[in-house]
Amino acid sequence: MRGRTTKLSLLALAMLSASGCSLVQPVQPWEKGMLSRPEMTFETDRLDAAYTEHVYFSKEAASGGSGAGGGGCGCN
Amino acid sequence: MGLAGRAILAAALSMPILETARAETVPESAVISYKYLDYQESQLGEDRIGVKARAWSVLLPFAGDWSVQATYTKDAVSGASPRFWSKAAASMRDNREAKDISVTRYFSHDTLTIGASLSDENDYRSEGFSFAGTHSTEDKNTTFNYGFAVTNDDISSNGLQENKRKVDWALGITQILTSKDIVQLTVTDVQGKGYFTDPYKLFDLRPDSRHQNTAQVRWNHFIEGSDATLRLSYRYYTDSWSIKAHTLGVEYVQPLPGGWVLTPSLRVHDQSAAEFYVNPADFPWTATYSSLDQRLSAFGARTYGFKVSKTFDANWTVDVKYEKYLQRSGWRLFGQGSPDIDPFDAKMFQLGVSYRF
Repeated sequence: MRGRTTKLSLLALAMLSASGCSLVQPVQPWEKGMLSRPEMTFETDRLDAAYTEHVYFSKEAASGGSGAGGGGCGCN
Repeated sequence: MGLAGRAILAAALSMPILETARAETVPESAVISYKYLDYQESQLGEDRIGVKARAWSVLLPFAGDWSVQATYTKDAVSGASPRFWSKAAASMRDNREAKDISVTRYFSHDTLTIGASLSDENDYRSEGFSFAGTHSTEDKNTTFNYGFAVTNDDISSNGLQENKRKVDWALGITQILTSKDIVQLTVTDVQGKGYFTDPYKLFDLRPDSRHQNTAQVRWNHFIEGSDATLRLSYRYYTDSWSIKAHTLGVEYVQPLPGGWVLTPSLRVHDQSAAEFYVNPADFPWTATYSSLDQRLSAFGARTYGFKVSKTFDANWTVDVKYEKYLQRSGWRLFGQGSPDIDPFDAKMFQLGVSYRF
């Protein structure tokens, strides 16, 4: 089941990447004003994210998702 | 020493997260930030664990194509131990220090980042090393993200000396869909080997390996009429302990005149129980592995949050955030919750200041 999930996710990644240039109308540099706003990026308030992620890490069984954890954590 | 909940919470706070979605260009200015956290959890109206944490972070561009980011966190945990099945005394106190640093080199279409982290407390020491990168297409509408991290934890409590190692992989793609929409898909794989048992809990014996996988999609949409941004996220989680979880996040970011930004948020979480989780009422049990840890039970959870930030003179930003977290076995979206679990609540308050120069 886990293997299947990974494969499906990778397939979805590959499809999204392959379709990136064909299905999606390319956005031109001069059309990116709204996208450059901080809230439109995926980098949020770093310290806020660290605090809240770790509260969830410590109180729920699931964790991760946004990237590779850098360690420094003594939790199960 | 030897205090319940420590391994659960104290050490858990402020692990550096190496986001795959890093900035792809050199930061325009340096930023120094401070954030205070006050966390208090309660069960059946009684206060349990409380955490007060302080973190300082600095982001500094240098030599044209480089930046360095460093964080220092200090937290203090105190309060009564978790409600059930703990070996510990009724009250506890613990301190922890964590440091991390990363250096990024920017190229025309790529970035490379290396990082290191260290977390120290009485009975737990964790060291981590990470490597991550991004690659953007010529038009910069598509960015591939990747990350790799290794972690080594040494656990020494109640006379035991144990070790745990983890290897993390992350792979993602960020795609600009329209001038108002950007999506990101990330998959992660974490292989852990070693001591996963909670030494502070009775009848807790867990497998010595854990394989975790996630698939997460995030979508940011700009609403032109109101200048607001809707930020949506969904994560699917599964692991070798038979836990499956769904987590949905919604944030609505509304800038207002005068440098104010209001951000209400909602998070909904659903998880099944670990295969070796046992209900307290089923005692005695005979399985090889067992845990009564409420965190490994089946439940639903919701978080209601509200954040207000205000920017002064374009350089100073002050923000305040309040969140209420509620965990209920009866709130599952898919399937049944675990029986005999008391409702669990937590309040989180954050105060932050940052300065750009």
